[in-house]
Amino acid sequence: MIRAKQIIKSYGTSQNAYPVLKGIDVDIPEGTFMVILGASGSGKSTLLHILSGLECPDSGSVIYQNQDITQLSDQERTAFRKDTVGFIFQQYHLLPHLTVEKNVQMGADLVKNSAYHELIEAVGLQDKIKSYPSELSGGEQQRVAIARALAKKPKVLFLDEPTGALDEQTGRSILQYISELHQQWGFTMIMVTHNENIAAMADQVVIMNSGKITQVKSNPSPKHAYEIGW
Amino acid sequence: MIVSFKDGVKLFGLSIVSCCAVLVCTMFVNYQQDLMGIADKITTETAQMLYQAQISMGKVICFISGCCLLSTSMVLMLFYVKHYIDMHQSVLGMYKAMGYSSFAIAKHFWIFGVSVCIGCIAGWSLAYGICPLFYQAQNADGIFPQIEVTFHPSLILFLIILPSLFFICVAIGYGYFKLQAPVLDLLKERKELHRRKRHPKKEKPSFLQGLRQSILWEKKVLVFLMTFSAFCFSSMTQMAFAMDELASEMFAVMLMGIGLILAFTILLLSLSTVVRTNRKTIAIMQVFGYTDQVCQRTILGSYRPFAYLGFLLGTGYQYGLLKLVLTLVFAQVEGIPEYHFDIGNCLISLGLFLISYEMVMYCFFQKLKKVSLQSIMIE
Repeated sequence: MIRAKQIIKSYGTSQNAYPVLKGIDVDIPEGTFMVILGASGSGKSTLLHILSGLECPDSGSVIYQNQDITQLSDQERTAFRKDTVGFIFQQYHLLPHLTVEKNVQMGADLVKNSAYHELIEAVGLQDKIKSYPSELSGGEQQRVAIARALAKKPKVLFLDEPTGALDEQTGRSILQYISELHQQWGFTMIMVTHNENIAAMADQVVIMNSGKITQVKSNPSPKHAYEIGW
Repeated sequence: MIVSFKDGVKLFGLSIVSCCAVLVCTMFVNYQQDLMGIADKITTETAQMLYQAQISMGKVICFISGCCLLSTSMVLMLFYVKHYIDMHQSVLGMYKAMGYSSFAIAKHFWIFGVSVCIGCIAGWSLAYGICPLFYQAQNADGIFPQIEVTFHPSLILFLIILPSLFFICVAIGYGYFKLQAPVLDLLKERKELHRRKRHPKKEKPSFLQGLRQSILWEKKVLVFLMTFSAFCFSSMTQMAFAMDELASEMFAVMLMGIGLILAFTILLLSLSTVVRTNRKTIAIMQVFGYTDQVCQRTILGSYRPFAYLGFLLGTGYQYGLLKLVLTLVFAQVEGIPEYHFDIGNCLISLGLFLISYEMVMYCFFQKLKKVSLQSIMIE
């Protein structure tokens, strides 16, 4: 269970502080697929960064198995990210000067996972293993990012608008693939998106507006990526 | 304006290197011309031998420092122009897409040559400030008649105007050449891929080994600059120690000053570029859970062997050069001690280099750590 309590976060100086998160409380059961939905500027990405230990809140706590990650030192938070979380970003953030293989190896080497080739094969990129990111399409790059994130066997996978830069067909195939992996591997998955249709795939949906959670909905029958609207 | 004046001024490293080059050349050329002006007053055999030796020495120093610093300035400027184009690809691509020709954009790159002009003017002015002291040191034993510092206007043409124009033309020409890339490649910031020939190995390199190799392969100019900065540090400091014994304290101070300025300027410029270009890589590694030490060792540490190699080459170079100058140029002059390699000076220089290099590396990494991961990721 991941539990966020009274998360407050502002940006800017103390005189010109701009509040982004205004007291967020959320519980995420283990193995859940949760979608954080909200318009641009609602604070959803900041919440994702705080939940994943990328950033610290001004106040509040984020508890993972009785450990408050907001109290950890920089070094401890790095170790936490190494052992616990995986990331997939909208802009992929692949290392441009490394091949597909080396990009995936980046995640795999952290946990000494020598079977990362299976993941490259699973995302259908075995023919492009020696290609560089600039030689791949957007969908292929995102699949490399997925393989890289999963190669480190994360307990929680964070996705920041993973289909934001993709066309409908590629977006659907990526979502379907991630959702199948989630069911197969059982990790917790937290996805930020502004696409309301994607929420129909999640077990739990958190709706944010102006730095606050306005609604939390449970979804008893999540849909497949090809069943949702776009 | 495509390139602002601020972009040109940022190239202060180039100004410093050109300042050093023009400073040395102005002092020696001015002295030579003044010395030649009193050639008919030099009558004794000892004075004539010293005259010949100083003329030859001046030529060697001007040639070596001029060539060495000129090529360094050229590498620095081309490196900066390339870096500027890499960093502003999409904006430059936009100009090209709007219909500006490559030359119309490249001609704004004249600003990069201005930093050379600033350096040349500074070096030339500084040289005339130091000249009285320099003349005194060159004729410390009073072997020559009194030599007055004379102003030679031709030096303005040869050491300020022509080098500045040359660098401005090269900046425009190189910019034009780099801007020949297709508009879409610039707009989409697509880079040319340099594939390495891979030799089959028994074991596949790890991610960190692969990253280290790719960083070095992709930024070969940075490898050269790192090696060169260590080379300058090593050769100039050891030469300065030797000059203290062989020539005069003034020579020692001058060499030490120029060497340190040159070494640190190049080192800081290269390191700041290494950090800037690898900011995102380090950020992604940190997001995934690689520790600061691993990031530092992999990215900044990749250059360490080359820095040590540069130090070694610098040691060999200074020994060879001094041996050559003393054997060939001053062979006929009496009272010049024989030069031997001084292991003590080498170790002092190595110690100083190790401390400076590691401190600079450490400071740069600490600076990088202060940048929030989020800000890099959303760039």
